[in-house]
Amino acid sequence: MFEHIEAALHRPNYIAFVVLFLWGFFIMVAHSNLVKKLIGMYLVQTSVILLLVTISAKTEATVPIYQGSDAVQSATHQIDPANYANPLPHVLTLTAIVVQVATLGVSLALVTAIYREYGSLDENEILKRIE
Amino acid sequence: MSYQLPLMIFAIPFLTAICMPVVGGKNRHWCRPMALVAVFVMCAAAIVNLWSVLEHGETRYAFGGWSISTSLPAPPIGIEWVNDPLASIMLVALSFLASACLIYGGPVSPQSLGSRVVLYYTLILILISGLSGIVLAGDIFNVFVFLEVAALSAYALVGVAGGASLVAAFRYLILGTLGASFYLLGVIFFYAATGTLNMADLAQQFTDRPELMTSKVIIAGSTFMFIGLGIKMALFPLHGWLPGAYTRAPEAISPILAALMTKVALYAWVRIMFWVLGARAEIGQVHLLALLGALGALAAVVGALLALGQQDVKRMFAYGGISHIGLILIGVSQGNQTGFAGGMFYMINDAAMQAGAFFIAGAAIYQHGARTVEEWGRLRGGSPWMIGALIILAMSMIGIPPTGGFFGKWHIMLGAIEAGNYLAVGAVVVATLLTMAYFQRLFVSIFRDRQAGSIATRVETHLSLRISVGLTSAAIIGLGLCSDPTVKFFRDMAASVGL
Repeated sequence: MFEHIEAALHRPNYIAFVVLFLWGFFIMVAHSNLVKKLIGMYLVQTSVILLLVTISAKTEATVPIYQGSDAVQSATHQIDPANYANPLPHVLTLTAIVVQVATLGVSLALVTAIYREYGSLDENEILKRIE
Repeated sequence: MSYQLPLMIFAIPFLTAICMPVVGGKNRHWCRPMALVAVFVMCAAAIVNLWSVLEHGETRYAFGGWSISTSLPAPPIGIEWVNDPLASIMLVALSFLASACLIYGGPVSPQSLGSRVVLYYTLILILISGLSGIVLAGDIFNVFVFLEVAALSAYALVGVAGGASLVAAFRYLILGTLGASFYLLGVIFFYAATGTLNMADLAQQFTDRPELMTSKVIIAGSTFMFIGLGIKMALFPLHGWLPGAYTRAPEAISPILAALMTKVALYAWVRIMFWVLGARAEIGQVHLLALLGALGALAAVVGALLALGQQDVKRMFAYGGISHIGLILIGVSQGNQTGFAGGMFYMINDAAMQAGAFFIAGAAIYQHGARTVEEWGRLRGGSPWMIGALIILAMSMIGIPPTGGFFGKWHIMLGAIEAGNYLAVGAVVVATLLTMAYFQRLFVSIFRDRQAGSIATRVETHLSLRISVGLTSAAIIGLGLCSDPTVKFFRDMAASVGL
């Protein structure tokens, strides 16, 4: 039991991910204000990206471009992959961020249109007007 | 040339979408012909592609020349598209129904769009290209990207008419994004455990290292993926966004969403389940397929039950669609070739049925202003094309030969009997009876005797509407008549994934 807690405390990023994800999920479900729902949605998306960055973090590593002596000697010497970060997770992160920004753009446009139409951001009030 | 075909199928609608604001900005009336030509060419390319796959076998497309050696140990590093029999037949269905939906969309498009009609056609084409991207992707992250491309245009299209549809679009967006986040979380777990995103490579690793399948990472990852795609495919407990979005979406948009969005998400899950995890996969101690079968049975019965209780016809068909997703899941989860073939056959057929259902529901609103079951009485005597198509549709949804729906359900039930799963058989029967009941309500409303004078004046059905309902009805009957070779085709596919 204690070793699990200790192991978790050594990985604060994972705890942050879980907290952010659940917090965002809760805001999305529980709040009736549409902008607050969007904030929750944004938290959920960001927490997933945080997890992606966390699992791909590598200490003592640099950008995946031949550097220093490697750049000169690469034809003759073995390259040590441990010295370089894996570029793929970063590309994935960038793509996920782009998707997230696009989603946020569309959702804010929708919220604006809803506000213009109904003059309110409260979900219950809007639903009452539709009835 | 045939090697490039899948790429062209994706690129035709996509590039047309990009050109649309440039060309259509000045000449607004060019938008619709341009979009129509694009989907017709796409449809032709998809048919040629199906023929070429059947003739020469599957092809794989490596993007950017990042070498993909199928001979391991060199793992694929780039994005890969897989053009196999399942993808190619799905592309034909997708492009055919996209054509039908665009033909239909002309007269019933929201009139208030004005100059925004350019963007409207742009979004529809991006939606179509995003869906074809999901079908072709051989890489789980690529599936995520295309899911979002398709979903983002769908959110905007649902809300395009303004008013109550905005709220439905917002709810769809919130839940759809949650689904996408869950799916991405699953992808990250898979990547963390295996270091690859390529489906073929993942499947290879799962067979080489069986301990992976019991590891918590993969169990959690596949669960998250399933929840994510379950929201996208509107599987019963996760279907909350669907009825509102389909009911409130403009009449021109709900057919294309109903026909394609949920089906393509289901396709993505079938691809992951059978081509990546393998048919024998277990989550914890539970057999994955048994779990899916139970969820499918629940969705099939509850969806049909909820459909029976609806007054709004579009909403009724939307719940019917939820029930059909359940039927397809029952089929593919029986773990034998008959069930899989039945499920996949029903999926193609259901895409045509849902498109047809929303065509008719939309035409009833457009021409007769009839939204609810009661108001559907106005259709009587007024529109023979609509009623004819509705009868064919009802036969197929209930499952009367010679329509495609009958053969789909028949093979699903045969598969369930073969697997000894009588609960699933019962669920299919109950869902069928409930489907019959809600069509009964519609027909009673249309055909029952009333005082003279309430008969609608005959409204000439618009030519585009006639063509589009004709196309879907022909597809439903055609699938029924050609069920034998099609089912055999899916059986061979099931054999190739080890069922």
